[in-house]
Amino acid sequence: MTAQGILTGVEIWCWVGLAVGVLFLLFGIHRVDEDADGAVAFRPLLIVGIVLIWPLVLWRWYVLAIGRDNWQARHVPPRAVHMMAAVFLAAAVLASVLLSTSLKQTWPDHIAPEQISAAGDAA
Amino acid sequence: MSVKYIPVQWNKNKYLYDAGLIVCVVLFLSIYLYLAPDALAHERPINPAIHNARAFGACAFTMMTFILVIGPLARLDTRFLPLLYNRRHFGVLTALVALTHALTILNWYFIGGPVGKYEALLTSNLAYDRVIGFPFESFGIFALLCLGVLAATSHDFWLKFLTPPVWKALHYLIYPAYAAVVAHVMLGTGQDGHAPVFNALVIGGAVTVAGLHMLAALRDRGQGDPMAHDAGDWEGVCNWADIEEGRAKIARLSSGERVAVFRHEGQLSAISNACAHQNGPLGEGRIIDCLVTCPWHGFQYDVRSGRSPAPFTEKVPTYDVRIEGAQVLVRTAPNPPGTPVDPVPVPQGSAG
Repeated sequence: MTAQGILTGVEIWCWVGLAVGVLFLLFGIHRVDEDADGAVAFRPLLIVGIVLIWPLVLWRWYVLAIGRDNWQARHVPPRAVHMMAAVFLAAAVLASVLLSTSLKQTWPDHIAPEQISAAGDAA
Repeated sequence: MSVKYIPVQWNKNKYLYDAGLIVCVVLFLSIYLYLAPDALAHERPINPAIHNARAFGACAFTMMTFILVIGPLARLDTRFLPLLYNRRHFGVLTALVALTHALTILNWYFIGGPVGKYEALLTSNLAYDRVIGFPFESFGIFALLCLGVLAATSHDFWLKFLTPPVWKALHYLIYPAYAAVVAHVMLGTGQDGHAPVFNALVIGGAVTVAGLHMLAALRDRGQGDPMAHDAGDWEGVCNWADIEEGRAKIARLSSGERVAVFRHEGQLSAISNACAHQNGPLGEGRIIDCLVTCPWHGFQYDVRSGRSPAPFTEKVPTYDVRIEGAQVLVRTAPNPPGTPVDPVPVPQGSAG
């Protein structure tokens, strides 16, 4: 994948996200969240988030719009994940520290600088 | 707490918290840039743009480190619980500081070439097959993206819209983000080796964060909430005499949910242990005037109905309760959020 391809993909992602954001904030938000009905000032604060995670927004919009939200699932926090996160973090920190302290860049400070072109030639 | 997304708790403490944060950031940058450049090993001459970029980068790392120690400290010692207050504002400011670092780097190192700066950022170093000289910028890009997602989804709307468990799962991105920042620093200035004091501070901060999270996770595993005793549709939670007045006992039900059984004025009520806001542990809160207060962010609920007092609209599920001998039993299936349940009096003549 080329850098240009990645940048094009990011651009497409952002434009789609912006379109989803405009549609959701104008026509969807007050239908799926009664607290948002009549509350307008906070909506611009949501645009960046929608652009970043618009597939998740579309999924939740769909689930709420068809009335299939599982209220029980709202009260089961993913607490067990914390142990995995802690182990991952400890291993990652350890790996970064070991790699950076065991493999050092060396500077060629024993080599005297040499002028390879006359002053003014660089231009 | 908010009503219809109009903030109603922007009190003096919140303004002071935010003002304190901004003052601390300015102080950090001033010390880094003007008071202690030698201690931070800028022995090789660098220009102001690089100096500024390093200052904002160091500041963002320090802020992330502080944010990440608050959670485990609060789990290990309840005296640290007040630090959870307004932590999301801390996170948003951190993302902005990190973004400033990234933009400063981008507009110094990656402009003026034959390709655009974003393409230059992605193509200037492609040595992904080696450790020395690894393109550490990629870790920074990943971390910045994670911080952006966390900051942009920090509004309370997202909690309600995504549900607290999905929101929490999304915000677990802070862990890979921090790991990426550590890798970004250690494979950058760390491997370069020209700033030993700075590197020692980074390693100290990262080891502290990782160590505290391991400690908190191990403590949760060792002293976690007990499992309820399954007895068909009802499950035994605890002895009613073990519940202190105004407090709760928490138990895990066979369904995976946690229930908190409260004793208030000699009567028992059971509600979900997970706050409707961020799934904070309601059972660790105290009852005042029939209302239990979540220890994380102060959301309140009537333990008899699972409802927040008006004008707030938050609700948590309630559970049917009965007493059998010394045992408190709750029905495994919760009632829909906000369903009133008559409290059950504890047997007369008990001291509790």
